[in-house]
Amino acid sequence: METKNHEISVIIPVYNSEKYLRQCLDSIVNQTFKDLEIICVNDGSTDSSLQILQEYASKDDRFVVINQENGGAGKARNTGLQSATGKYLSFLDSDDFFEPTMLQKAHEKIEKDNSDFVVYNSDQYVTEKNDYVSAVCGIRPTAIPPYMPFSYRRLTENIFKAFVGWAWDKLYRKSFVDEHKLYFQEQRTSNDMLFVFSALIVAKRISVIYEVLAHQRRDAEGSLSKTREKSWFCFYDALIALKDRIEKEGLYWELEKDFINYALHFTMWNYETLAEPTKSKLKEKLRTEWFDNLGITGKPEDYFYNSFEYHEYLDIVK
Amino acid sequence: MQKISILIPIYNVEQYLRECLDSVVNQKLKEIEIICINDGSTDSSLDIIKEYAERDSRIVVITGPNGGYGKAMNKGLDAATSEYIGIVEPDDYVSDNMFPDLYDIAKKNDLDLVKADFYKFKTNNGTKEKTVMPLDKTGTHYNVVFDPSHTPEAVYFTLNTWTGIYKRDFIEKYHIRHNETPGASFQDNGFFFQTFIYGQRAMIVDTPYYLKRIDNPNSSVYNRDKVYTMSIEMDWVMDILKRDPEIWERFKYMYWWRKFQNYMFRYNVLDKSFKQEFMNRFCMEFKWAKLRGELDFNVFEPSQRATLEEMITLADKYYFRHNLSVSWKIKKLIPKTIKDFLKKLLWGKEYGNKKS
Repeated sequence: METKNHEISVIIPVYNSEKYLRQCLDSIVNQTFKDLEIICVNDGSTDSSLQILQEYASKDDRFVVINQENGGAGKARNTGLQSATGKYLSFLDSDDFFEPTMLQKAHEKIEKDNSDFVVYNSDQYVTEKNDYVSAVCGIRPTAIPPYMPFSYRRLTENIFKAFVGWAWDKLYRKSFVDEHKLYFQEQRTSNDMLFVFSALIVAKRISVIYEVLAHQRRDAEGSLSKTREKSWFCFYDALIALKDRIEKEGLYWELEKDFINYALHFTMWNYETLAEPTKSKLKEKLRTEWFDNLGITGKPEDYFYNSFEYHEYLDIVK
Repeated sequence: MQKISILIPIYNVEQYLRECLDSVVNQKLKEIEIICINDGSTDSSLDIIKEYAERDSRIVVITGPNGGYGKAMNKGLDAATSEYIGIVEPDDYVSDNMFPDLYDIAKKNDLDLVKADFYKFKTNNGTKEKTVMPLDKTGTHYNVVFDPSHTPEAVYFTLNTWTGIYKRDFIEKYHIRHNETPGASFQDNGFFFQTFIYGQRAMIVDTPYYLKRIDNPNSSVYNRDKVYTMSIEMDWVMDILKRDPEIWERFKYMYWWRKFQNYMFRYNVLDKSFKQEFMNRFCMEFKWAKLRGELDFNVFEPSQRATLEEMITLADKYYFRHNLSVSWKIKKLIPKTIKDFLKKLLWGKEYGNKKS
């Protein structure tokens, strides 16, 4: 066993992704930044994913393969987090792939600014078309101050909309994650939002890199977001957990407006993209319980940054 | 224990230092401690301080590598032992009755802080042109004890830290210090805000004692690293105010008022190459302050109110509209009197209503 700790721990939950796994792993193995520990958590795959992982591990001793019974990506990331020894943490998904300089550039920035985490841009890759969607996502430029590093208080946007609530376009300082006891929710979908937004509100130093460094695969087969019918309530559990965390940090007085606006935004997105009959089930829950619990009920129209979303809300409750 | 510790943060000021030190050494109040903090000067400043220290045992010399104004001041605050604390900048000087007078007022009224009017002065062919600068332009708050922690309007007072004295017990109770950012980066803003949000017994007096040198007008900012030093200081102030929701609630409108003044002041001295980015940020910050309910237009003067409304509405298009678009340049040709008349016609009534 090696005694020296690696600089970056890359954590990848793997579940039945044999089709894209090699492209993902190759893009990590070929990173220009070499001082890595690549922790692959096989989440009870039933295809050949584990064999592929073992094959890579036999050729590259930076790999660590952990097997667990299927428990979802959130649990797999927590497993990886617990065994990580690196100074920095990168949480990647097994169907995405990355620019070879991603970790080098993110590492350079986080060290230079002494940041708690650094965010970079990404785009989307459509497998069927074998092409990238031109829209860049990740960082909303008008929300970001022209100086770095900064905290959420410097964001000129709903703070929960300045970055996207996923973990793979960010590099985290491990001591920061440990100090604030950040963890992933162990649920089927929306399991990284709590982690990402908890980090956002407790971080004193955030940096960004305005460069596309990661490629997210869209419309991948077996992609969880396509089968959200089974986990239609997860987004709500994530929002409630975030609300609890904001309250526990003593910041709800300050962040209530941004939270409620984001809660409505995220709820409407989930609602619009859900198919019947689950959609009606969700509608009933929202009307009778969830809009109340999220603090949305009773807020006047001018409380909402986006009046279109407010009117969508009115349509549901009327 | 001495009555006042006078802090003098020193960085490359050999030209003015003797005049400053003489005015402090010759104070009519003798029970003082004079703390000179040399912040890594590369001229003869340190020699001058040492020379004075040899002659006067009340002078304490602290010296170290350059660490910026805030760090130097904090070293002075840490070292101070007297009942009160005063600050004199090494290119300014003070009249010989400043510290005895302020000490008497502070003692008599048991004050956390007392501040006085001051002069600004220019030297023209060897003669000094002095102008009195009032702390309170309305002239209504002088010579009475007030509670700044519950008087947010006191943030309207001219912002400086060096025209007053502060009770050291008060400074230590709230651990009031400066932001330790590099160089001179407006660190007096943070100190000023802390003394006003925490102070409970304060007075301003309408006698000027302190002479502020303005020979070196604010020169343009050409260095990119300096463009946002004011923003960073005001960020620090916000983080302090938000430690306590009640304090933020009480001071938020005046915080944004102060920030507006500071940003305008900063914007005007920036090199043109930085102005657009700075103004975009300026507009976006105020747009979101309004959305979050942190702005009160009523605390602004009507002319500023109009500017601010436009900045918020146009946001990142404001700079373009004012500097690059042709139609705006044509508008600029309209004489001011006609513009004022049109403004009154368009806005006058609305502002009248808002005020009531």
